[in-house]
Amino acid sequence: MSDKNPFILDRPTGRSLRARDAIACVFVAVLMLLVVKGQSIRSEGEKMDSGIERAVVLAVGHPAGWAADRIGLGDDVDRLTASLSPDDELSGPGGFDETAATGSSSKAVAPVTQDAFDPAALGEKPARLDKLNTLVATGDSLVQPLDVELARRLAPDGVKTLRDARLGTGISKSDLLDWGRLAVSQVRKQTPDAVVFFLGANEGFPFEAAGGKVVGCCGPAWAAQYATRARQMMQTYRQDADARVYWLLLPMPRDPDRQTIARAVNAAIIAAAQPYRAQVRVIDMAAVFTPGGRYRASMPVGGRATIVREPDGIHLNKAGSKVAADIVIGRLKSDFESLR
Amino acid sequence: MVFPTIEFAIFFPIVLALSWALMKRQWAWKPFILAASYVFYSAANPLFCLLIGALTLSNQAAAKLIHRSDDDRYRKRVVVAAVVLDLGTLGVFKYYGFFATETNGLLDKVGLGLPLPLAAIALPVGISFIVFQAISYAVDVYRRQIEPASTIDFGLYLSFFPHLVAGPIVRAKEFIPQLARPRDPAKVAVGAGVFLIVIGLVKKVAIADFLAREIVDPVFGVPQAYSAPDVLLASYAYAVQIFCDFSGYTDIAIGLALLMGFVFPQNFDRPYRARTFREFWRRWHMTLSRFLRDFLYIPLGGNRGGKLKTARNLMLTMVLGGLWHGAAWGFVLWGFIHGAALVIENVFRERMRWSPPGWLKWAIVFHIVVLAWIPFRAPDLDLAATFVSRLADWGPATLWSVPVVGVVALVIGLQLLPNKPLDAMRVSFERLHPAALGASMAVVIVLVTATISSQGVPPFIYFQF
Repeated sequence: MSDKNPFILDRPTGRSLRARDAIACVFVAVLMLLVVKGQSIRSEGEKMDSGIERAVVLAVGHPAGWAADRIGLGDDVDRLTASLSPDDELSGPGGFDETAATGSSSKAVAPVTQDAFDPAALGEKPARLDKLNTLVATGDSLVQPLDVELARRLAPDGVKTLRDARLGTGISKSDLLDWGRLAVSQVRKQTPDAVVFFLGANEGFPFEAAGGKVVGCCGPAWAAQYATRARQMMQTYRQDADARVYWLLLPMPRDPDRQTIARAVNAAIIAAAQPYRAQVRVIDMAAVFTPGGRYRASMPVGGRATIVREPDGIHLNKAGSKVAADIVIGRLKSDFESLR
Repeated sequence: MVFPTIEFAIFFPIVLALSWALMKRQWAWKPFILAASYVFYSAANPLFCLLIGALTLSNQAAAKLIHRSDDDRYRKRVVVAAVVLDLGTLGVFKYYGFFATETNGLLDKVGLGLPLPLAAIALPVGISFIVFQAISYAVDVYRRQIEPASTIDFGLYLSFFPHLVAGPIVRAKEFIPQLARPRDPAKVAVGAGVFLIVIGLVKKVAIADFLAREIVDPVFGVPQAYSAPDVLLASYAYAVQIFCDFSGYTDIAIGLALLMGFVFPQNFDRPYRARTFREFWRRWHMTLSRFLRDFLYIPLGGNRGGKLKTARNLMLTMVLGGLWHGAAWGFVLWGFIHGAALVIENVFRERMRWSPPGWLKWAIVFHIVVLAWIPFRAPDLDLAATFVSRLADWGPATLWSVPVVGVVALVIGLQLLPNKPLDAMRVSFERLHPAALGASMAVVIVLVTATISSQGVPPFIYFQF
């Protein structure tokens, strides 16, 4: 670094003009910009957050936009300079403005309704139901002894728990029992305020898809079929938003082949519940009992290592069912005033 | 408020017209410009205006106390207190988080569980520039190079909006005398001002932002995804980007000040044509290197006291200069590389009888400067190391395009050309009629704004410093 001062404070060498020339020069530039960019100023102002800056920009932008609209130079300039823009040209089909117009076309997506959102997940107070009178605890053998635990613990609150375990059944096993029809029947008979559903010990059977094609477990095509059936049941159980559904994901079984099935079933349930998040609570038992997707027979419960699985490596034992019941009741309490 | 925005395009013509209308009535002009500058700064966060106000009052009080006293020890105590207060402000806002995180990490390693509280402190825009100017005022008064200004003049010096957020670092003795009497409305460098504004806009929006979008941000963000050709081009492109971004801001700042009748110092003079590091620092961010020289290097002893002490002073100055840019090890490493280069250059100059050809000296200096920008730009040192390691992995050039390579070559190439053709262009431009100057500025603004992406104009790089 030199001691010699390299600093130059030099007045520019060019000619000097008058202050009014400076003002005139700036105002000529401003006038030209208002004429050709008036619409842009208005639209930029409209995009700004409310506040003083937005008000100032719009105070200029509205009259400038009005004038620019009438003069019409802005569009020509935009066309001439369009090639300089780094943004992609987005003039083709598929815009949001066409969504309503093409709603019935084959390419249209199904609209997402507000039922797809759990209000609690959006930081809003969920719409709570007044009283839990009737609860149906149903599924296959997995729902036992959870159903008993729920019935026992909810009885003091006046909740009538109907236990309806269908052993050996599965959603992919409809030759034994059609769960779609059973769900309709359960709702028609009991009109439950809540349904706790835990099933999956007997899944993995192939589906017969359209055209007689057989879809084997456990790829995306199988999961899609499973999710479609599960969604149909969820729609039945939620009774047009009048009831709440608590659908339990499967804790990983010990057997690796069964784990493959359980992963597909869980993925299908999550996908199936998407449109009904406001009423269908997907409770992740896999995260509780088998975190990281690794089977374990025991886990800490109340600070002590406790066996929570049956020796078959599939079902929850009594202690495990108590853990599951705690979680389900916690979710019930957040949905029903009478349980608080 | 950022220069190339609609808000500023509304703000400036009004302020310019009122400024010249009030110029002869200084009692009204000064409060008006002070208020306009605070309005400009409050667009970032109105609370930050309190900080500038506090820095203004504390340094003005110190300057008055220093000036009144003939007791050298007392004067020294007051100036030290003022500098400590200024640097303390900078430290709290800019370096506390970094210091607490690093200290906690160190304590943790040696098993001492005494963590410092972490606090998320908002960094006031341009705080480093404001603090340096406040220090320059207090120290210049202490050195009897200037007399204390009136409080409103000093307030104007600190907050004058064209240089408020990213310099150039104007010394009090350069700016305050310009406030002594009204600016002459018959002598306004309109052509030069408009030319600088136009050039600055092109540099910032059409070049710096273009390169950032097309190559610099993608490659520096995920260097693992690119191989040597892209990484190499990205390192040259960043050298061009930061030059165009920062010198573009300075050009606009100087141009705006000229239209208002004020002269700011130059900040850049084709830095990438330098053949020595000493020359580079006479051409790059000139007002910072001057500040570091006058307020750090020389007080440390400068080149007096032998070669070792000179080397130590150079290293300290450059490392602290690096740290001035921000609280990160990348800036420290950048300063270290420049400091080491200056020391080695001194050794070579003294000991080598043979002088390499000019082109070789240029190539060495330029490439070390480009290399030093890598830790400066990379989000952290790990990514900087990854970036450099990718230079050894030769693969396809996925981001090379004619516009990107052309712009990089053009900007570096123009710096190597003699000044004459560019000066001739500037002089021709300045001769235009004021209406033609305004029309030219409008045309350039229209063309430049057409290159802005829907994401808007990114802030100037030096705003974060």
